[in-house]
Amino acid sequence: MNIQEFQTRLFSEAQTNGFSDIEIYFEKKEVFGCQVHNGDIEQYELAEDGGVSFRGIVNGKMGYAYTEKIDEASIPFLLKNATENASVIDDEYIEEIFAGSDRYEQGNFFSTELNEVSIQGKIQFIKDVEREVLAYDPRIVATDYCMLRSESITKTLANNKGLTLTDQINYMYAHLLAIANNGEETKSAFEFIMTRDFNSLNAKEFAKKIAEASLSQLGSKNIPSKEYPVLLRNDAAASLLAAFTANFSAENTQAGLSALNDKLGQQIANPKITIVDDPLLEEGLASRTFDSEGVASKKLTLVESGVLQSLLHNQKTAKKDQTITTGHAKKDSYKSSVKVGPSNLYIQPAAASFDDLVAAVDEGVFITNLSGLHSGTNQVSGDFSVAANGFFIKDGKVQYPVNLMTIAGNFYQLLKDVQEVGSDLIFPLSPIGSPSILVKSLSVTVE
Amino acid sequence: MLSRSLIEDVLTAALSTGGDFSEIFVEDRFNNNITLKSGNIETALSGRDFGIGIRIFKGMESVYAYTTDFSKDGLLKTARNAAQAIKGTGIIRPAPLVHESFPTLHPIQIMPQEVEKARKIAVMKKASETAKGYHSSISQVTVRLMDEEQNVLIANSEGKFVEDKRVRSRMAIQAVAVRDHKMETGFYGPGAHQGYEFFETLNLDHYANEAARMAVTMLDASPCPSGKFPVIIDNEFGGVIFHEACGHGLEATSVAKNTSVFANRLGERVAPEIVTYIDDGTLLNEWGSINIDDEGEKARKNVLIENGILKGYLIDKFNSRKMGMESTGSGRRESFRFAPTSRMTNTFIAPGKSTPEEIIANTEHGIYAKYMGGGQVEPATGDYNFAIMEAYEVKNGKIGKPLKGATLIGNGPKTLQLVDMVGNNLGHGAGMCGALSGSIPVNVGQPMIRVSEITVGGTKGE
Repeated sequence: MNIQEFQTRLFSEAQTNGFSDIEIYFEKKEVFGCQVHNGDIEQYELAEDGGVSFRGIVNGKMGYAYTEKIDEASIPFLLKNATENASVIDDEYIEEIFAGSDRYEQGNFFSTELNEVSIQGKIQFIKDVEREVLAYDPRIVATDYCMLRSESITKTLANNKGLTLTDQINYMYAHLLAIANNGEETKSAFEFIMTRDFNSLNAKEFAKKIAEASLSQLGSKNIPSKEYPVLLRNDAAASLLAAFTANFSAENTQAGLSALNDKLGQQIANPKITIVDDPLLEEGLASRTFDSEGVASKKLTLVESGVLQSLLHNQKTAKKDQTITTGHAKKDSYKSSVKVGPSNLYIQPAAASFDDLVAAVDEGVFITNLSGLHSGTNQVSGDFSVAANGFFIKDGKVQYPVNLMTIAGNFYQLLKDVQEVGSDLIFPLSPIGSPSILVKSLSVTVE
Repeated sequence: MLSRSLIEDVLTAALSTGGDFSEIFVEDRFNNNITLKSGNIETALSGRDFGIGIRIFKGMESVYAYTTDFSKDGLLKTARNAAQAIKGTGIIRPAPLVHESFPTLHPIQIMPQEVEKARKIAVMKKASETAKGYHSSISQVTVRLMDEEQNVLIANSEGKFVEDKRVRSRMAIQAVAVRDHKMETGFYGPGAHQGYEFFETLNLDHYANEAARMAVTMLDASPCPSGKFPVIIDNEFGGVIFHEACGHGLEATSVAKNTSVFANRLGERVAPEIVTYIDDGTLLNEWGSINIDDEGEKARKNVLIENGILKGYLIDKFNSRKMGMESTGSGRRESFRFAPTSRMTNTFIAPGKSTPEEIIANTEHGIYAKYMGGGQVEPATGDYNFAIMEAYEVKNGKIGKPLKGATLIGNGPKTLQLVDMVGNNLGHGAGMCGALSGSIPVNVGQPMIRVSEITVGGTKGE
């Protein structure tokens, strides 16, 4: 049974079973991944993946169910479960099936050339990277997570209000952890690249970047634990922003879980901060021409010069706040219900070069990596206390690596305490991006 | 789930280019997930996961392919495409399949698919009301109920053919307390390798009240000081620190590559004599328990560290080749989308002799971590970080005021050396562990322990 036959049968039986509005969303994904270790292929992954999400209104309420098995027997399974799920929902706001926007942008998130790169070519590249990293310096003793992955995804949404939409996206990324040891200490560094243009990749340059990143951490010293000005490198700043992005969701403000509730029009950040969400970004990991309800994608400014301009909305949260959807309905996958979430969300880059940012610090800490963000952050209060790697800055110059640190502070306070924003916007294998940012002060504890 | 002759054809096709081992993993899983927020059912999701994973080895090479296409043509194509990555000479034929049975270690009484959602919701509402009623400052309670029935079939070219049904149930209770613009959360998430009977026998009041108490207590918490302190970590989920700091480093995934700090150290002293560390997939109906692993090996009890001496690793089939050591029944994966690798099941520090009262009374000035949050570790260096969800100051042998924003950082092997007291109150806590082969259910556990010194990163400064 192909997906077209499945859809036709499902829609017809859903109507017979009392569903009025009906939607089907399906994903199809092709994956290639390979991981190498000491020149051998350690993992090799090929996949054809996908599934179908069904939702529909029955007895005045929305019910959901999904399946990865496309067969005859799945149709009654979906209808029975969606009906039962609808019957237990208490929400007074009913989700709606969307009839369509006036106009949809043309997406440019798919490269035919990328899909034609040979598997051999991809394997050769990642092997070259590993070899170059290990050969770079005798102090580089091992690598780990040395892998390349490419994905090609097709998403289709169709409903019985006449809407049929399809998006296609593909990308390739590679990453590696290099482990350096100087006889006294072991340090590691993780770097990645992501692209849609395979020919732009240069194994030697990438290897050099990773090798340098791990070597530069050797020879770490202690500094006194206290409050320091902190320069968050672009990828570290992006990972911190990602940990608190849900606070911009109207779902969280309406549930009383975000301190941005009632802050529209207010100054929530330093005027140097502008935050946007751009679903149409060509190089974005979360790029799309329509959201999970079928609403047309467009760029949205959330924070402009420090002032909160908008939250992220889907149809339901917009109705509750008596506004219109911003096109940020989001399903994590066909297994999920429609929630609210960002697409490609980032802090807008400014003019300062990275060197300018370092030069602006008399005495401070430069953070290159944060870990433990899933556990060391309190989404609701904005408090965070997370492990960090980085360097000591003195008199406008990066001096030496610092032993393992924690940095602690509060996200909302940090937004206000931003002193400078860099020009080096990056999306660290994530749809949430940032340039490097200089923060007035955070509490730094050194092991 | 698939016919035996089709499985044989797939295993044969997978070896068509000279592989020396092939395996098929078929998964058919039913999931239910219900969320109750502020007394109302917000989402109710159900679905069926279905797919097939095919794995081929040749020497130290491993290839993995998966698909949701279960047609004969689709499966044979997937097997042949995967085999293209292998270049060998000499074709091996798979051994005839022999159906293998094993004892059901974790009996299931009530299959979750057979229980009406209304009954499940009644339990959730009770938990929600209990937490809400704990204190007037509780502003919101979210209760999630999850259950799953995972049916698997594992067959390989060595003739193995096993089937298993895994049923798991879990409830997660989150309470939010609000006062004077301050907002704090508390969380408890008990789970078991059990059916609906788990919810019927669960001490709901205890878990709901604890989640609420945690949130309310943290409203009055002071910022945690930074520095080096003796740290007392209580039982149950407190074991997460050794899960991260030692458990991951004992997995063959990093040991076989010599990237673990514990590699090549069997027989050496890695911890004080009071520390014994065990991974046991056979504990009755525990959240991390298994009948067989995802490579079809029987669950077992693996002593990893005994009285401070490193005794063993957690080993899966592929890494057993690399290490020249037997598999320990530790090959696990989230789903058919992941090749299995060595993972933990229920991992815990064995109980010692001290009572919790003695440990606290013996601590002049330190930090007491009653409930731990999550954390992570870099296996290559052993460096870890953890959040403490509910922390207290310890002064003159007594538990003092609550502290917030506390993070523990350090180095796993070093911290292990600094364990100086082990309590007698062993308890286990349920969690999800994310690594190479996906997110899987595991228990972490320990009695109360004391570490003589850990770096605490707080918001208060020195």
